Amino acid sequence: MTRPPGGYAGKALIVDVTRPDATTLPIGEAVLRAYLGGVGLGAWLLHRLGPPGVDPCSAPAPLAFVFSPLVGTPLTTSAKFAVVAKSPLTGMLNDALASSQFAISGKLTGHDAIVLTGRAATPSVLLVDGPTARLVAAADTWGRPAAEAEEVLKRRLGRGWRIAAIGPAGERGVRYATISHDGRHAGRGGLGAVLGAKNIKAVAVRAATKIGPANPDGVLAAARDLRERSFGPATAKYRELGTLANLLAFNAISTLPTRNFTSATFVDAAKLAAEELHELRSATRSGCASCSIGCEHIYRGRNGQKARVEYENVFALGPMCGVSDPDDVLAASARCDELGLDTISAGGTIAWAMECAERGLIDAPWLRFGDGAALLRALDEIGSGDGLGALLSEGSRRAAAVVGGGSEQFAPHVKGMEMPGYEPRTLQGMALGLAVNARGADHNRSGAYEADLSGDYDRLAGGDAQVTAAVATEDRAAVMDSMILCKFLRGVFDEPYREWAELLQVVTGWDIDDAELRATARRIVLAKRMFNLREGWVPADDWLPSRLLREPVRLGSGRDAALTPARLREMIDGYYAIRGLDHDGRPEGGALEDLMLMEGAPL
Amino acid sequence: MGYRTAGVVLAGGRSSRMGRPKADLEWHGSTLLRRTLGVLARSVDGPLLVVRAAGQPLPQLPAQVDIIEDPERGLGPLQGVAAGLAALAGRAQTAFVCSTDLPFLHPAFVRRVLSVLTDDLDVVLPVARGYPQPLAAAYRVSLAPLVTELVAAGDRRPAFLFRHERCRTLRIDDAALLEDPVLAAADPLLDSLVNVNSPDDYRAARSQPAPQVTVQRYGAMAGNGHRGPRTVRAATLSGAAEAVGLILDRHVIAALNGDQISRDGDVPLASGDTVAFLSADAGG
Repeated sequence: MTRPPGGYAGKALIVDVTRPDATTLPIGEAVLRAYLGGVGLGAWLLHRLGPPGVDPCSAPAPLAFVFSPLVGTPLTTSAKFAVVAKSPLTGMLNDALASSQFAISGKLTGHDAIVLTGRAATPSVLLVDGPTARLVAAADTWGRPAAEAEEVLKRRLGRGWRIAAIGPAGERGVRYATISHDGRHAGRGGLGAVLGAKNIKAVAVRAATKIGPANPDGVLAAARDLRERSFGPATAKYRELGTLANLLAFNAISTLPTRNFTSATFVDAAKLAAEELHELRSATRSGCASCSIGCEHIYRGRNGQKARVEYENVFALGPMCGVSDPDDVLAASARCDELGLDTISAGGTIAWAMECAERGLIDAPWLRFGDGAALLRALDEIGSGDGLGALLSEGSRRAAAVVGGGSEQFAPHVKGMEMPGYEPRTLQGMALGLAVNARGADHNRSGAYEADLSGDYDRLAGGDAQVTAAVATEDRAAVMDSMILCKFLRGVFDEPYREWAELLQVVTGWDIDDAELRATARRIVLAKRMFNLREGWVPADDWLPSRLLREPVRLGSGRDAALTPARLREMIDGYYAIRGLDHDGRPEGGALEDLMLMEGAPL
Repeated sequence: MGYRTAGVVLAGGRSSRMGRPKADLEWHGSTLLRRTLGVLARSVDGPLLVVRAAGQPLPQLPAQVDIIEDPERGLGPLQGVAAGLAALAGRAQTAFVCSTDLPFLHPAFVRRVLSVLTDDLDVVLPVARGYPQPLAAAYRVSLAPLVTELVAAGDRRPAFLFRHERCRTLRIDDAALLEDPVLAAADPLLDSLVNVNSPDDYRAARSQPAPQVTVQRYGAMAGNGHRGPRTVRAATLSGAAEAVGLILDRHVIAALNGDQISRDGDVPLASGDTVAFLSADAGG
């Protein structure tokens, strides 16, 4: 095989944990250039390695840790990795990012990806040490929170090992369980349940080689420049208050989903605001490896317990459930961390259950909006499987199918994934992004809220302009999540595609330009859609919960904001047209050849 | 049929007493016409039109404003009303029609007048501050042929329209207007109807303090003692931003009364408004 391009190993490690047995899959330059890494390369790997129709929690289902060309360089925010698998929550392609040293050491095992298949006979930890892989018993870590498991394993394995682990929720198969490393979660879509189903508590990696860039001096110069720019106004919000700064601002513009989307404002928002917590409870601020932003804000809760706080976990466990006591929300957030639960899906599913209980559809008189103790009890039951836990572990879509009684209408999900904290009726570009994205209701793969909040569009009247903007943000996310750079850095790029191409030039040595990178973005988005089509996607999956299309929401100005089915349909049709899809969302023409997914296509 | 409401500004008058075009008059860093259009934009859900004399230069206007030309100058305001309503055919049901020279026009006034124009009426004519106010009134768009007919017949005074048998007109006085609590709170003296016809009028209006509005900075912008609401006087969004030490740019946006988001510094403010300054970088 020819030497791989700069920043790449040119191969993936495929580990069948049943035996265990490790093989190497060469990945040619054509595929690397077409999919870059991260979520893009992950989509390609899943197409190639995932048996069509596979149960995501069965032994043959692959789960991939995917690195990127930029990982290991001094480029700020580049120490990230993607975890990619078919989601047990959505049944579709799922990718989630996490950060820090696992990304660097994982790549320096000498692989662009580490893919797990099979199922270990007993609870185990997978150790990847350069080209070798082996299992060790996980007996002393099984049942523990991921962070504790990491500590135990670090002590046992010694220096140099980096560990990604699941918590009890992943072990128990909760469909929205996470995989975490150093307190940061690959959070969405239940990847922890996929790993748990393989009887794997953790994956530990140790660097064994070097993977250098094509132009080290060029990378250093680019890194200095990017680092400098990362201290500017585009990242001020993340540095100073973290993403929780969204909460009070979103409340002011009626886009803070509250009490399971029955309102877009929360009367007690100020109690949970970053501005308030920062003054009274801020403990420390932290950041990922190789990051100059440092967006993580850690707050003290009840009894001095610390919780890593972001907008999404406070939204989902606070206003979404009507809970306003910061101690309860911080405790709930910490509980999710311990169990290894995606906070958005946990909060969304519990909020749905609270509404069901208040409507008499679920026999749980203790479960009420606004009751922090009930929120914590619900989380405990999800963690243990007791009481309502088994039902709520399924996520709101499956739980609503069981409960019925019209609760499907207000289950807050798209494609089975619970909705993030962006009110679609008052952010109508985002409404489209949430409806059509391959991962489901997701704010990281589609950032169409950027258009809504730009002041350049009428955020209450979605139309052609928002469609174009939604496509553009989805494309940009596909590139950033594949190179990989943290999206909190996106505001520092004036001409993103040109600047990203320049970064890839110095790392890989390719003569890549902005036009090629735009094509790459479209390819990645289409590849994800193709995976979903293969796995049974139907046009009705690109849609929003009925509540959002039937019930207007009141703005602070007194006006009502409504999103009609006709308007959403029109935007989706526009999206399909721009994407080269037919009226049913399926690709037209010869687009598939470009994806290199067919049998015989180059590896 | 299209939108429910539209806004029409008649800018083609001779401005003979003012001695210069009123549309160009400076207003707190913007222009009087820009302000009037901005108030209408905040008050209607449909198109905005400016009716000007043929070839009349206008100050810079927002992109979404349609400009139409009055085909014949000197035929009086009804000609402008006819041209504006005709241009809205098929696009909106009703329109608030006003002149350029209402520097204190409040969105609450516009909404109040439009809200009274029910399906059984063709015109809502405020008769307030002592006079009928045909250039601060609501008209049904379908009146366009009748108004055109009257102008063609030489019946160019608005009164001919309001007493015509095919025009169902409701006259609404000060007290009736102020039955709306929102308007009563925002504009209790109905200063919305103050117009400026002469340089003295303009100087007097310009010497009035800017509207009192409530401003709040959010997120990272709320640091260093900037938390919580503040009351400032500002006639535009950029004026409000400046009053609290901010500049609207790609990173800073403003939400007006929790409703639309903008970084257009010329968006006019009115008394009682609330402005939220937010980070445009909203990911999370």
